[in-house]
Amino acid sequence: MRTMLADAPRTALTMAYWGFVLYLFLPLTLMMAMSFKNAAFIAFPIGDWTFDWYLKVMQDKPFLEACVYSVLVAGLTTLAATVIGVWIAMLIATTEGRWGAVLFALACLPAVVPGMISAISLRIFISTIDMPTGTAAIVLGHTVHAVPFVVVMALTRLRSMPANLVDAARDLGADSVVAFFRVTLPYLGPAIGGGMIFCILLSIDDFVRTFFLGGYRPTLPMLIFAKVQGGMSPEINAMATLVLLVTGAVGLYAEYYTRRSRSR
Amino acid sequence: MASNSTLVRGGAMPAVAAPAYSTRLPALFNSGLYQSTLGALVSNKTTRMVLLAAVPIVWIVMMHIGPIYQMLKISLLSNYPIQHGRAPTVTFANYAIFFSEPLYFMPLIRSFVYATSATAVTLLVVYPVAYYVAKIVQPDRRSKALLLLLVPFWAGELIRTFSIIMLLANRGALNVFLRDVGMIDRPIPLLYTPFSLGFGLVYLISLYMLLPLYSAIDKIPKHLLDAAADLGAGPFTRFRRIVLPLSRDGIVSGCSLVFLTSIGVFATPMLLGGPTTVLFPETISGFFHGASDKWPVGAAFAMIMLVSALTTAAIFMRIVGGKSTRLM
Repeated sequence: MRTMLADAPRTALTMAYWGFVLYLFLPLTLMMAMSFKNAAFIAFPIGDWTFDWYLKVMQDKPFLEACVYSVLVAGLTTLAATVIGVWIAMLIATTEGRWGAVLFALACLPAVVPGMISAISLRIFISTIDMPTGTAAIVLGHTVHAVPFVVVMALTRLRSMPANLVDAARDLGADSVVAFFRVTLPYLGPAIGGGMIFCILLSIDDFVRTFFLGGYRPTLPMLIFAKVQGGMSPEINAMATLVLLVTGAVGLYAEYYTRRSRSR
Repeated sequence: MASNSTLVRGGAMPAVAAPAYSTRLPALFNSGLYQSTLGALVSNKTTRMVLLAAVPIVWIVMMHIGPIYQMLKISLLSNYPIQHGRAPTVTFANYAIFFSEPLYFMPLIRSFVYATSATAVTLLVVYPVAYYVAKIVQPDRRSKALLLLLVPFWAGELIRTFSIIMLLANRGALNVFLRDVGMIDRPIPLLYTPFSLGFGLVYLISLYMLLPLYSAIDKIPKHLLDAAADLGAGPFTRFRRIVLPLSRDGIVSGCSLVFLTSIGVFATPMLLGGPTTVLFPETISGFFHGASDKWPVGAAFAMIMLVSALTTAAIFMRIVGGKSTRLM
């Protein structure tokens, strides 16, 4: 009896954890299951199961085009955000004291400002510089959002870097650019890799910025949003499931990648 | 390699320090082109600092401060787009519109109510989970236990919101389950209600609560808890006197992040809410559809939302305190 009482908090916490895991996975599992329903409307129980919705989605030209477009946007975003993010992190790491803190706060601003506000302010901004909505504007918007995450990841790694590595390179005759490319950048490798995968996930998910900055070509979230508003069908579930599986695989790889490079 | 190693530093300094270390990028950095351009620039401390600072400062000013400043400017214009020959006047009329109609200010109040309740619920739900992973799970299994909680969040805002519909629809899993076990005769309308919106918000934001809480609780030394237990403190006392105060920073940053995220959520209310749950982002977005002459009002509303949300988060940090006011 006494041990049971002593174990009660531990049991309750264990149950809280598994309950929460169930809560997180249940809706997504239901969504995946529904994509196999052999009927044109969304309702439980599923009854007959079928693969037809996947065959249909695989031949759906707008869906495939949206996939390609999302990947293109994510690739450009990742490229831009990584260069700018690492550059900002380098500046913050070499700036001491109060100005370093101010720079850090300013660099992280877009991660704190609500997505809706950032989307609208960017929409107004690109129109004042006469930039049209479309791919360039979306990439700009996604990059603004992704840069703070790259900065934080790169900065964490930079702060753990022994200062004498660069000193040694400089003593051996490397100028600061050479030292950066030969010493600092390789040391940053894992953080940059993790940051890049994070940028891809952020860009593929981003709905609100694309909504305000996009042209007529829809990205994946735009396409799914339009479909949901147009009426429900297991076809949307099949699309969402495919997107989920791909982003899940990217995320799992990121996890594997960061863990491997951390243990190295 | 042998020829490189004969060039030792010192003595007569060669104008071009031949890098004995270079094996992979030598051609570019040894080229005269590099040495006479970028190489020459970075050999001077001032130009080196200018190069290092130029891109970050231009980016931050242009992309972080510029758009907000531009939004503030437009929100004060009496007419937009600016016509030729007519000077726009600065006015607060666009802000006054917000207070003129319940249709305008009610959604902001609603947004605050939803964001605050979602934050409170998320804190209560996620805290035990974060504590379990940080303190109860064996260290070697901890990262797996954490990973299991992270996986669903890779699905993104839209897909996660959409998946809630499968659970709460009239013929969704929950209603069908309750009907099959005989608890209800007809479906309870759950979707497109305040409940489904709140449920969706909590589902969407709990990760932003989990990570700060986990890292704060993880930092609490285990021996403090053991010592307290040895001195006779029960689980509740240990929690109240040790865990809660020492995880305050995590609570502050988790709640601020979650609050600011849920205030600005745009797609979720449109997919899960009903006509009575229009939130402020949707109201603002209405001014940006169609002609741009309504932009000043939309910009003013967006400024009201930004300032009130950041002020609330700042007040919260001040009240709850904690040394760390960092949001990330």
